[in-house]
Amino acid sequence: MKAIFVLVGLLVLSYAGSLFSGRRTIHGAGLPSSVEYAVLGFVLGPHMLGIIGRDLITTFEPVAQIAVGWLALVIGLDFGRNADSRVAYKNMALGLVNGALTGVVVGGAVWLACRRLPGAPTGVERVLLAGGLGAACSETTRHAIRWAMERHGAKGKLTSALADFAHADDVVPLLGMAVLFSIAPGAPASVRLPAAVWVAITIGLGTLLGALTTLHIGREARVDHTWGVMFGTSMLGLGIAARAGLSLLTVLFFMGWSTAVFSRHRAPLRAMVVPVERPVLLPALVLAGAHVDFPAPRLLLIIAVAVTARILAKLAFGAMIALPAHASPWLGTGLLSSGAFSMSVGLIFAIRFPGPVGDLVLASAFVTCIVGEAVGPLALRRALVLAGEIVEPAVPSESAASQPGSAS
Amino acid sequence: MSGAAHAAPKTLRTQAIGLFLLAFFFALLFVTTRAIPHVDGGVGAVAAVGFLLLAGTLASELVEGIGLPHLSAYIAVGVIAGPHALNLIDHAVVDRISPVNTLALALIALAGGAELKLDLVLRGLKSLAWATLVQSAVVLTLMTVTFVALSRYIPFTHGLGHAGLLGVALLWATLAVSRSPSACLGILAQLRPRGPLTDFSLTFVMTSDVVVVVLMAGVLAITKPLIDPGAAFSLRALGDLGHELLGSVALGTTLGLVLAGYLRAVGRNLVVVFLALGFGLSELLHYLRFEPLLTFLTAGFLVQNLTNQGQKLLVAIEETGSVVYVIFFATAGAHLDVPLLRSLWPMALALSTTRALYSWGAARLASRLAQDPPVLRTWAVASLVSQAGLTLGLTVLIEREFPGLGGPFRALATATVALNEVAGPILFKLALDRTGETGQAPSGRASTPDLSSA
Repeated sequence: MKAIFVLVGLLVLSYAGSLFSGRRTIHGAGLPSSVEYAVLGFVLGPHMLGIIGRDLITTFEPVAQIAVGWLALVIGLDFGRNADSRVAYKNMALGLVNGALTGVVVGGAVWLACRRLPGAPTGVERVLLAGGLGAACSETTRHAIRWAMERHGAKGKLTSALADFAHADDVVPLLGMAVLFSIAPGAPASVRLPAAVWVAITIGLGTLLGALTTLHIGREARVDHTWGVMFGTSMLGLGIAARAGLSLLTVLFFMGWSTAVFSRHRAPLRAMVVPVERPVLLPALVLAGAHVDFPAPRLLLIIAVAVTARILAKLAFGAMIALPAHASPWLGTGLLSSGAFSMSVGLIFAIRFPGPVGDLVLASAFVTCIVGEAVGPLALRRALVLAGEIVEPAVPSESAASQPGSAS
Repeated sequence: MSGAAHAAPKTLRTQAIGLFLLAFFFALLFVTTRAIPHVDGGVGAVAAVGFLLLAGTLASELVEGIGLPHLSAYIAVGVIAGPHALNLIDHAVVDRISPVNTLALALIALAGGAELKLDLVLRGLKSLAWATLVQSAVVLTLMTVTFVALSRYIPFTHGLGHAGLLGVALLWATLAVSRSPSACLGILAQLRPRGPLTDFSLTFVMTSDVVVVVLMAGVLAITKPLIDPGAAFSLRALGDLGHELLGSVALGTTLGLVLAGYLRAVGRNLVVVFLALGFGLSELLHYLRFEPLLTFLTAGFLVQNLTNQGQKLLVAIEETGSVVYVIFFATAGAHLDVPLLRSLWPMALALSTTRALYSWGAARLASRLAQDPPVLRTWAVASLVSQAGLTLGLTVLIEREFPGLGGPFRALATATVALNEVAGPILFKLALDRTGETGQAPSGRASTPDLSSA
């Protein structure tokens, strides 16, 4: 299939995404995780219909990288803030615990499973696999909480705290990726540096680019000029990171974060850039879905282990925060939703580490999104109803309905 | 591409920061490409696009201080970073980012059509008609003669007989008649001028597109039997041309109506719409063998003159174009074959100088015949020197028609276009500055709001 048709298809999706994020559409339309677009990509991809073949996936890899990079930039710009308010330090810490706990439990479980499973990756590959699955499975998508707020009118302390956690936990997989990508650097042998230096370069490059973006935008900050600067700097950072084999998501996250920290135009910058998240996200999800390649059947057990470990970790975290708040101890199931960010982590792993490691990480992220979508939103809604933060509409009784004038 | 007329004046501090950032980005990409020279996939292209955009924007802000146009800065950045200088962007990457040109040309043609207001065309119809007639006739005739006269210094013509030489000279002269709509619109977008020179340049350069396409089809039909003795004169090419022109105008009309309807009913997400048009529709037009430039020009013209959505379209194109144009011209700079220019520069300089002189003479004559105001008599030639994508596109067509001739012919044409591409925008900016037309356009169009008002 010609690349141009795929490109136009992606642009149509992007257009649809921009309509969903518009003011005139129903808030919360679609699934919270947007996993349906990844499934669409998988169905169109080489393993099912073959409409998007392997050559096209390779052709569109840079487009996918730009899209997920932009997503990381937006997350960085928005980091530490939930809508217009600052995330409370306590919630920020708990969000980090949520991400770290899940990442460590999933990574640890996969590590142990790999030791027992014949034919599973060994050595550095095992580290990358365990770490990659930990990173891809750790987040709770912000969109699930937003979905509960916008579609069901969830409102209250618990809802707000959950939204804060979901905003904060993204930094865990991003730091994890910086470390993992530095363990197996993509630079040639002539540029051998310790892993810690590569991690520092990853974070430093992003932070520096953000500072330079602020300097470039300057005081005047004209809209057309700012778009050019943001777009140009992010592309340059992304290209350099990918060239050096560093985590481009981490670089762009820190670029967004440092721009938000240094710029006096932080709020309008966020207002300008954040609405672009959705139009960029849908094509990225389709491309990520098309990229999914399930490994040999014996390795599917690793995916099952990762998904199970994630459920247990989220349940544990949910119980930890539910008890003091007198909420349902099953609150953790409501935090199982993952989405575009997990798929982005998986996709970048699959591009950076082609083969069993990358395939397993992306496939696990895909399965996690589907499982999360099946369980998460309903459980979250239930937990918020029990906490009294979603008011269920009263069902009118028969006698009330038969009263004259009651229909008005 | 930022509008200089609306940007705040650059202080010394701003210039210093710009210079620092420019040096830093060059150094960053230099270190990266030297440390990690080989890269698979499209990541090199991603970094290159980002770099060209940043460095082009920064350089354009710096050259403003010395009176040079932004386009010159974009081209210079491309040349310096390109494969023939620092090689921060190699040949493979330049080829990978070339599809941006398709988008840029679509936007340029749409904007060109939308800038052509019917009352403007009718007001300047007499000047336009004389200029088109005289420029085509004078430049075509004199360049043919000049090329024949200089042919002893042009190695690839040595084996040709008289008829063959005349055929090649005619092809060269047709190339000389072509102008650069992209350079014209690029300068107008930067300077936001208003006045007789602006109006004339806009209408002439845009309509000359169509004239050159028709002229080239006719000249190809005539020169085919001259260069290739086995070929017979055929009017089939003219028939194909008729089909191409009518089809392009018809499709452009439909596109214009659809665009106007969209702008009226929805009017948002225009970036995505332009991307789909620039990439998707251009591909379809190539498949149908229609002329994309004419199609988009017609669409823009229709939106401007038959609906009330022209202003909206222009503003939207300018917002998108601010990013796309920088990459387009910087890529053109990276494409510039410096070693080729070095080897062919004496002949290229002779041909481009004579072309500029004939264009100047023809412009003076046409202005006199049309009784134009003095400003046009002096400066009408200023926008006619630039050549870029359209001319290079025509050389590809010639290479396809005459494979035995094409390579060296194209090399000389590329070298000549390179000189015109560098000198033309500088001359046009100088003319607009001297005539006082720079910055005279009303600020309503494409004013650049700051972030706080966005």
